[in-house]
Amino acid sequence: MKRIAVSLLLLTIVPFAWPARAEDLVSGVSQDVIQITSNYTGTSIVVFGAIERPLGSEGRDIVVVVRGPDTDLTVRRRERIAGVWVNSDAARLVGMPSYYYMASTRPLEAIAAPADLTRYGIGEQHLVPQQIVSHHDPRPFQKAAIRHLERLNLYTEAPGSIDFLSETLFRTRVPVPAGVTRGQYNVEVYLFRGGQVVSAQSTPLFIDQTGLERRLFNFARDAPFWYGLAAVAMSILLGWISSVLFRRPA
Amino acid sequence: MEIYLPVAEMSVHWLVIVGLGGVVGFVSGMFGVGGGFLLTPLLVFYGIPSTVAVATTLSHVTASSMSGALAQWRRRAIDFTMAGVMLAGGIAGTVVGVWLFALMRRQGQMDLTVGATYVLLLGTIGTIMLRESLVSLRSAHAGQPVRARAINRAWMASLPLKMRFRQSRLYISVIPPMGLGFVIGALGAIMGIGGGFIMVPAMIYLLRMPTSVVMGTSLAQIIGVTAITTVLQATSNYAVDIVLALFLIVGGVVGAQIGVRISGRLRGEQLRLLLAIVVLAVCGGLLWGLIARPADVYSLSLEEQ
Repeated sequence: MKRIAVSLLLLTIVPFAWPARAEDLVSGVSQDVIQITSNYTGTSIVVFGAIERPLGSEGRDIVVVVRGPDTDLTVRRRERIAGVWVNSDAARLVGMPSYYYMASTRPLEAIAAPADLTRYGIGEQHLVPQQIVSHHDPRPFQKAAIRHLERLNLYTEAPGSIDFLSETLFRTRVPVPAGVTRGQYNVEVYLFRGGQVVSAQSTPLFIDQTGLERRLFNFARDAPFWYGLAAVAMSILLGWISSVLFRRPA
Repeated sequence: MEIYLPVAEMSVHWLVIVGLGGVVGFVSGMFGVGGGFLLTPLLVFYGIPSTVAVATTLSHVTASSMSGALAQWRRRAIDFTMAGVMLAGGIAGTVVGVWLFALMRRQGQMDLTVGATYVLLLGTIGTIMLRESLVSLRSAHAGQPVRARAINRAWMASLPLKMRFRQSRLYISVIPPMGLGFVIGALGAIMGIGGGFIMVPAMIYLLRMPTSVVMGTSLAQIIGVTAITTVLQATSNYAVDIVLALFLIVGGVVGAQIGVRISGRLRGEQLRLLLAIVVLAVCGGLLWGLIARPADVYSLSLEEQ
């Protein structure tokens, strides 16, 4: 939802604000599909682009954002009760990206005002869940969620990591760790001038399991009863084989 | 080489998994227990989500029990009637256990439930085993025979629904074995264990079954219960990872054979003392996890939409 809203915003605002002969952006991604295979341990993609009709590098910034499919995050706070740490309070953040990567030419606070960053969902602190279910102040829970996701390398902020190959040509490398969710990712490139977005482009990226992994995952979800039976049959068969193999001469 | 687990949705090193299966198989071959009580915590320590660890360990237990039960069956040391009666109780227990498991998971108390149940159970059993093995080691030194503690079973004789168990040479009510099966079935679903290490003493001391058929009968019953629990866990929690199970079992069956061979060289009391130490060590580690201040008091769980 949020992604569509942002795209619509870009479609409407940008042409009106910047009619013909404005500074513009073209961008691309090194691959549009990532296949998770049996020996997948993470990979990386290269996002690149060029600025058309440049107006000089002063006051110009590039921000690259990669978002994973939306997910619900449940954050729980543990409390010591009778000497034991027990989950007590919880907050549910509905509709947060399962993966988030942000690369920029400069630190975000130097690029644009917080309100603008929040509008485009740029920067971990500026991500707003669609809905928060909590009986408490959700801010510490939201911070904790981001902290955990950063530790899992699912959320990363990399200010100053965009390389300029020439005056107008830029690229950045985006790591895709092993624990990513399958689904549609979105690679967004923003061109800022004087704190305002003047051009933006969004490219989809698909991450999917392939081969045997895919089939096993589908099997487990679509036919769980038969999948369970298959697991049992495999165990019984292997137990039987081992008893025959290692049978000691009587 | 890293392998990708399709249900756990994570990459693990296959040698670590085969190694874990091997160590647990070694312990189970050495002591004649299923080893689920060790494998589940070890998998969780390694970073496998506890739901997947509990559900997948059961496959490992099925395989090692199958291997052991076949050896007992060749010796005609299985009381199938008794195994069937206990299995009937076990199925009911399993259904309740899997339901509780799903409930705890929704409440976010999964780790606490699994951890606390483990600490209670392992602490109790480890302490009893430690005491008994020390006592028998001491009396073996003094040259005195050890008397088994008699349990008052008068109440059991008055229970209805008596049935004849030919192989065990027993004529008792079906309620105690069914109840035993129920309790262990429920624990198995929550903890990912076969429960042999609770069931064997209970069958000897409570049901008074001849020791010769206890091992085979409990193994046969465990195969039934773990098989049903695996199917239930697969259908209600999608938590069985067949790739993880495969690597665990391969390590487990090899480890078990080494364990069996080494156990032949040790005395019974020494074995029980060693097992008691292993059990108490696992218990201590889990207890520490419950009472130590966590590195981060906030925890996160991701759910797919």
